[in-house]
Amino acid sequence: MSVKPWVYRQWSAAILVIFVLFCVSPVRAEAIKLNYRLKWLFNTSVAGDILAADQGYFKAAGLDVTVKEGSPEKNAINELELGYADFGVASADQVIRALDKGADVVVLAQLFQVNPMQWIYRADRPEIKMLEDLKGRHIGITFGGNDETIMRTLLARAGLGEKDVRLSGVRFDFTPFLKKKVDVWPVYKNSQGVILADQLSREGEAVYFFNPSQFGVNFVANSIVTSGKMIQTHPERVKIFLKALLSAWEAAMDPLNEAQVLASVKKKDTQTPDDIQQKQLAATRQLIKPDKGIRIGVIDVGAWKQTETIMLNEHQIKGPVGIASRLIGPEGL
Amino acid sequence: MLFRRIYQFLIVYCLGLVGLLGIKQALGLSDYVIPGVSLILSTFGRVSGGYFLDVLNTLSVTIFGQIISIAMAFTVGILGRKSSWAGSFIKVMAYNIQAYPIVALAPIIFILLGDGFLSRLLIASMICYFPLLLSVLGVMAVPVKDIEHFYIATGRMRWQLEVKIRAFENLSKLTTVIAGSATLAMAGTIVAEFIAANAGIGYSIRIALYQSDLAGILTALFYIGIIISVYQGMLETLGELVKTKWSAPKGGELL
Repeated sequence: MSVKPWVYRQWSAAILVIFVLFCVSPVRAEAIKLNYRLKWLFNTSVAGDILAADQGYFKAAGLDVTVKEGSPEKNAINELELGYADFGVASADQVIRALDKGADVVVLAQLFQVNPMQWIYRADRPEIKMLEDLKGRHIGITFGGNDETIMRTLLARAGLGEKDVRLSGVRFDFTPFLKKKVDVWPVYKNSQGVILADQLSREGEAVYFFNPSQFGVNFVANSIVTSGKMIQTHPERVKIFLKALLSAWEAAMDPLNEAQVLASVKKKDTQTPDDIQQKQLAATRQLIKPDKGIRIGVIDVGAWKQTETIMLNEHQIKGPVGIASRLIGPEGL
Repeated sequence: MLFRRIYQFLIVYCLGLVGLLGIKQALGLSDYVIPGVSLILSTFGRVSGGYFLDVLNTLSVTIFGQIISIAMAFTVGILGRKSSWAGSFIKVMAYNIQAYPIVALAPIIFILLGDGFLSRLLIASMICYFPLLLSVLGVMAVPVKDIEHFYIATGRMRWQLEVKIRAFENLSKLTTVIAGSATLAMAGTIVAEFIAANAGIGYSIRIALYQSDLAGILTALFYIGIIISVYQGMLETLGELVKTKWSAPKGGELL
């Protein structure tokens, strides 16, 4: 039995229509795949990053972003250079060190306006109102960490030498502080600080936080970074990514969205108790958006320059890196 | 043997370094990811004095740790060589303790013992001990039938003699394992220092890691390699001496 020519024509037309529809359909538009490496583990201090992925901020911007946890061994700047990550979070000292060694890294936004790296101490000890009050204290520092650089800068400003204080190396275990072996202990105020303060308050002990920025030392903490190559080759992609991410951070830091934010964080950080996470979120808010008028991501150029100067004085870098020229900021895109 | 160990290490180290520099060149990486030759050399000059002393500090713990683990392995191996209930219980207990990864136990050890010498010593011994135990058990649990039969038949067999016969018949294996376990003891000490101690080369590597200082880490690896090669070479030489002394045809004493 022979097939009539009009049947062929009808079938050909139908296939053509389906093909055209398939090609122009918005469903076909593939999301841009990106990797985003955080500096630390998933917890409340990265609420905005978690929210961006969980609540569809990236997806709405046409991005398919894999948000990866960080750790001391995982360095976002290394991954940018090796091509394993497109964006990342790095602290100012990491950025400045990388520039000192010729890395091509730029800062897109500064997440923490106040450095969460602070020192906790019991309120039954004299309050540290002036830097000179550090004299005679037993202070914990992470040798090689940025808290060591900050503390040495503070001590130098106070005119205190190593003989005037007792410095002890610390790690993640709080036992020496809890056992009162070390008096002033370095913590990330919005994560470990909350846990320690809560633990001590259950035993009827109050705490103070010693914040270096109150004594004029503004050492910048976490910022969003990418490579210079990325900015040159895909400026629009960078703009879209940053806009989506900062929108998520704005939403995450809005107290009205607290329940939603905590629910998203809980999916990633299942271990931390709910009440602690709530306190951690409140503490994070004060560091990311210390004032309602501050736009999240804005770069404090003065603080970056000061960080560079501190690192130069502490011989952490060979020479000036001209950090200001590598700070782009949300408004610079 | 000692010099062979050292130059073999130098060949391996140089090959690794050339490989890294090749990757750096091929991918056009900055000194931040992989340091260039000049940065490696300047870092070497800057940190080598301190790192050398750190490695010696680590080595001192390694030696103590290895001695303890050898003593533990031989004690457990000798006690557990019998197929009796007690022997089997000791073996099971030894295996079960080892089933826990040391890195998981290390935080408990550091909380209980602090981050000083004792914690490093314990962790080094624990990491070094199990492979030693397996070898000692393998040697001690297998009878040397031809020789042991004579002593059993004549009623002169004692446990000390049994252990001596089995050790003597497997002397080469035991000395090789003991020399080889030096690297495990060193690795154990470095792991302990890396996790939580406040001294030693593992601690210095941790600091270098905080500062993304790969050149510093490469310098540390160089000193670790050199020192462990020297130590292992010395152990092997000592092992050869023991074997010569125990070997009758070479003028040694008979058991």
